[in-house]
Amino acid sequence: MTTVATLQYSHTLGFMANQGRGFNNPVDLAIDSEGMIFVLNRAGPEVGVRIAYKRITRCTSDEQYLGEFGGGGTGDGGLWWPSSLAFDREDRLYVADEALNRISVFGRDGGYLGKWGVGGAETGQFNRPSSIVFDRDDNLLVADSLNHRVQRYTKEGEMLQQWGEFGDGDGQFNLPWGLALDAGGNVYVSDWRNDRIQKFDADGAHLASFGSSGKGDGQFSRPSGLAVDGQGNIIVADWGNERVQMLDEDGAFMASFRGESQDSLWAQDYFSANPDEAAARWSASLEPEIEHRPEYDSHRGYEWERSANVEKLFWGPTSVKIGPDGLVYVVDSLRHRIQIYRPGL
Amino acid sequence: MANAELALMAHLMRRAGFGATRDELETCVEQGYEATVEQLLHPELAPVLDEDLLRRYHVDQNSLMLIESSQAYWLYRIINTQRPLEEKMALFWHSLFATAYGKLNHAKAVVNQTNTFRRCGLGDFRNLLLELSRDPAMIFWLDNKDNHKDAPNENYGRELLELFSMGIGNYTEDDVKACARAFTGWTIANADYMSVRASRDSIWPHGRLDWQFQYLPEDHDDTDKTFLGHTGPFNGEDVIDIICRQPATAWFVASRLYGFFVSDTPNEASIQYLADRFVETDGDIRQVMRALFLSDFFRGDEARLAKVKSPTEIVAGTARLAGSHQFPDWTIVNLAMDVSFMGQEILNPPTVEGWHTGREWIDTGNLVERVNASSLEMGNLGQPGVQAALRRVRAAGDALAPEQLVDACLEAVGQFEVAQATRESLVSHAAKDGVLEFGERGSADCAESRIAELLQLIVATREYQLA
Repeated sequence: MTTVATLQYSHTLGFMANQGRGFNNPVDLAIDSEGMIFVLNRAGPEVGVRIAYKRITRCTSDEQYLGEFGGGGTGDGGLWWPSSLAFDREDRLYVADEALNRISVFGRDGGYLGKWGVGGAETGQFNRPSSIVFDRDDNLLVADSLNHRVQRYTKEGEMLQQWGEFGDGDGQFNLPWGLALDAGGNVYVSDWRNDRIQKFDADGAHLASFGSSGKGDGQFSRPSGLAVDGQGNIIVADWGNERVQMLDEDGAFMASFRGESQDSLWAQDYFSANPDEAAARWSASLEPEIEHRPEYDSHRGYEWERSANVEKLFWGPTSVKIGPDGLVYVVDSLRHRIQIYRPGL
Repeated sequence: MANAELALMAHLMRRAGFGATRDELETCVEQGYEATVEQLLHPELAPVLDEDLLRRYHVDQNSLMLIESSQAYWLYRIINTQRPLEEKMALFWHSLFATAYGKLNHAKAVVNQTNTFRRCGLGDFRNLLLELSRDPAMIFWLDNKDNHKDAPNENYGRELLELFSMGIGNYTEDDVKACARAFTGWTIANADYMSVRASRDSIWPHGRLDWQFQYLPEDHDDTDKTFLGHTGPFNGEDVIDIICRQPATAWFVASRLYGFFVSDTPNEASIQYLADRFVETDGDIRQVMRALFLSDFFRGDEARLAKVKSPTEIVAGTARLAGSHQFPDWTIVNLAMDVSFMGQEILNPPTVEGWHTGREWIDTGNLVERVNASSLEMGNLGQPGVQAALRRVRAAGDALAPEQLVDACLEAVGQFEVAQATRESLVSHAAKDGVLEFGERGSADCAESRIAELLQLIVATREYQLA
């Protein structure tokens, strides 16, 4: 078996678009059995024409746009604060919504199939489900963020198990965000406000915790989505540090990525159609010198400001997914794109 | 605790912040008026608002690309801040140095400017003008990116003198020209590309790109200039130094502070008092504000309810009173839209002169908006602030006559100053259902509904429209 030492930037998928070809604040993606990519556009705010920007976009990793479905709304099939999506073994698409506290189900053609879920703190209820992933038995794990726990449901919405409570001890959570499984069925949770990753066995027994608060290697600032590759390496969207980190299966730091996006094909099309804007862009410095103002330290952080200025960098990465071809997809939410990496030495 | 002390504290918190709950007023009265003023004047001692939750749930408020998102973001800050004067000063300077999204097509740039106001708004006025002159949103707003050594653009130089520091009549056209020349070369990085993007409102390919200040010495006119009687190879810093030494500047800043914090009706003696403090302290805004809040003219009866609340004040103040929007929730954008519907699009003022304030805040249309929005908030029994008010009224006695009920409700929300006619109207309404009795569960629900209805009427009164 080849040991993956790091990742190499491959290309970028995406373009800012309120509707049609492109994304609008994407927060997650899922890949069906045929390799088609479904990108979840959360968009916002929830007002007027902006509501229509919410949607699910279908495309391929080589940047073919295949259409969109869904849309903003609170009725059946509507999206309001969509947070996460996942395919079951029958290629049905499950979509979690943090505002509506429900799971909606769609066919891969976008047809609406149903919904389940009840908002609340009782057993069998959830409050702002932030991430969903199917386990080896095709049951759905849910990060029940405001209840600080992980839940397991059947595909029909019958609750099977839950674990976790508020706290910072082993097996406790503070507003968990992301979920991932490894090949062995172990469950990884990005424990958002505890700035760490927790690892559980398939039954929810705590195995390990990785990371602490900070900016250093192996430290985290509010980790969001994560994925585990075939070698057991953990790839984490270190949201608050505006980067992606790679840990080995024991949680040891391997590499860090700040982002290096280049223009997607969709972006290149835009500049072909707008040569005056393209000319001004090519003569500009896309990595301007940034003044380190005092408020950056006490506000959202210097790295957040850097990402607001330097387009190639990650800005608000929310999700990491690994495709069947081994490509690593990082959902770069504030830049309306997916930065794609390939395994490398 | 005497109502007079609570009323004075309510006055202070309305002006230096966005109002306070009855519990907060009592805490402030216990520590004393002067101590509360000091606390307000030192926001750096209170915690910074933690924005991670806001950014997580409102993905649009993370990048601050859209104007509605940015307005909702600021409103959330105002509602939840533990540094009320910092936000109030930011709103004051934003109103005075009015910079609008409409021309920039870059909401975050205007938000960045308000961050500068938070950091510098209680500091040295000279430093504030310097930061303002280097602010990318201002440079774009008043065309200083087009102010070149060989082709000066006077827009920023003119407004700096007319609207931001001295006021018309205190300088000549030649001073405007010299001022503009001093700011040649003060621009933003990648000005051509950013101009193209702004002109076509381009969000492509991947959203907005932030702006950075850039000084181009080769584009700066470093020849001699004569400005307000001084001659030299002045740069922008030198011009600001001269401006800040002018008595007209002291009067200008004092009059704007008086109008925003004291009264909609100018008072020459009081403004001169503040201008003198400005001169004595070399333009230290914190010291001028201390003098203002401790002055007799601020504390006295004439200043009470002497201002019409701005839309931001009435909406944010009611939310703070009701205890709503303390956790990120998608409805905050509707609240921000309410502020806009009432005539104050924060981050997007109508002109460089800012908003017309005072009585102009109210017309027949937006008065209905103000009353409806406030009543809606206070009528929500699920809100913690409304519940706190209910508990206070409940503690006033097991049975309350209409007069007692009205007084208990007024005191529960810190509305100590109402006209006799207003009180009589409220009592008349309360009397329709007779004595309020708390008893069995069913009647308790009825009592709560009656109290909530009165609270809704209180925030619909004339006095509640005033600060």
